[in-house]
Order: sequence, then C-alpha cells, then structure tokens
Amino acid sequence: MGNNNVALTRRGTNALTRKVEPVNSYVTPVADVYETGEAYVVKLDLPGADQDAITISVDQNTLTVRAALPTFHREHAWMIVHEIGRKSYFREFRLGEGIDRDKIRAEFVNGVLTVTLPKVESLRAKEIRIQ
Amino acid sequence: MLVRFDLPRTLVDNVFEDFLTDFSPVYPDYQVYPALDLAEYENESVVVAELPGVNKEDLKITVEDGILTIRGVRKPYEIPQDAKVILNEMRVQEFCRSIELPHEVDVDKISAELRNGLLRITLPKTEEARARTIQVQ
Repeated sequence: MGNNNVALTRRGTNALTRKVEPVNSYVTPVADVYETGEAYVVKLDLPGADQDAITISVDQNTLTVRAALPTFHREHAWMIVHEIGRKSYFREFRLGEGIDRDKIRAEFVNGVLTVTLPKVESLRAKEIRIQ
Repeated sequence: MLVRFDLPRTLVDNVFEDFLTDFSPVYPDYQVYPALDLAEYENESVVVAELPGVNKEDLKITVEDGILTIRGVRKPYEIPQDAKVILNEMRVQEFCRSIELPHEVDVDKISAELRNGLLRITLPKTEEARARTIQVQ
C-alpha cells in the first residue's frame, strides 16, 4: 500500500475533540476535467451528498455546482475525531463559447459527479480522410 | 528572488477556466486519507469516512486489537485515449488508514454501509464497555 497512516486517538486528551459543528460552511470539491473530440467532461468528488441535494446550473458563461450536505452525526455525539466538518460543496467553472448548453448531462455515482458538456457541432474534432 | 510560474495556457484557455472559489486548499494534502469522523455515543461509536469513487468490492475493513483499519483502492475511471487532461486533482488510488477505537467493540455486531461515497461503520460497545459508564446517583 502506498499510503499507510495510523492515527491514534485517546479519549478526551486531544485537541481534535470538538462539538458537532462544521468547521467550514463549504469546501471546494476536488475536480478532474478532460477534453475529448466531442465534449468537455468535469468530474467532482462530492462524498456524502445525496443526488437530490446537488444543483448544477449553467448560465451564459459559468458552470456552477452546489451540493448541500446532510448532518453526518446524531445529537449528543462525542466527537473524538472530526475532520469532515462542512455544510456544502461549491465550485464554479468558466465556460467559453462552443459548448452546446442544451445537451449538457450529468450523473452521480459513488459520490462522484460527472458533468458532460458536449461541444457544438462546428467545433467537434473531425477526421479528414485523404482521398 | 521571486520567480513566478505561469500555468500552462491549456489550463485556463478561454473555453474552460476554473474560478478561484475558495482560498483554502481543497484538501491540505493526501498524507491522511481518507478523511474521517469518529463519534462516540452511549452504546456505540460511528466512523464516517469520505471515499468518493470507491466501489465496495474494493474496500476492506478490519478490527483487530482495538484498531480499526480501512484499506482499499480507488480505481481510475475510464478516459478515452484521445482525451486531453485539463485539470487533475483526484490522485489517491490505494489507501490505508487505521484508527484506535475508544472502547471495546462487539466485533460480531459491526456493520458498515457505503453510500454516495461516504462509508459509515457502526461499532457497538461490548457489554463490559457499556457497564463502565457510571451513572451519578
């Protein structure tokens, strides 16, 4: 395994013990973006979000992804380790010309959102055969 | 001397540009992965870990000598051969993290659920561990 970390905690003795309160109101989710001949594909890690709580909006030149998160813990939790304090995800991407906004599609699998932004027909890669 | 490295133009070309939306780093580093919470309740503890993109077949959870270990692999997604990568922040593939549990656990009653990239492990306390909570009369 490339990444072996052991975090030992002892009850009530460390600074990590906190009440159940989000540390940040939102975080910028990790993203991958790639381009193919036909489309741009944006992938975002949104662990813990429910599909219904994800909002994807596209206006003139911006793709915006927001996702509200549910509370992960019940009341009266004694937080021994608390690294995931957050309420929501938020990230924006600036779009240029050449995206067919009517054909944008998205899917959400295992906490990863994939947004596919097809290029307009005139900008798609075309193979030219030599006659 | 201050040297400024410009990002390659492909990252910020006029078709796709990422707004700077937050000044804090996304995840400070990948030294500790996955990020997790450990919450203790009267009769159990619950570990919540962020594992986006991980299939449950690729995940192994063990409890031994009071140490919970989560290990597995995040397999890369398929990408067309001709694709041009513009932004690549998803890095972790293999991971392993261990955490010491705050009490004895009834190993037979541990349950785990992986949903929306979030792993939730419920670790019930043993009878003895429960009995150690002393009520003030």
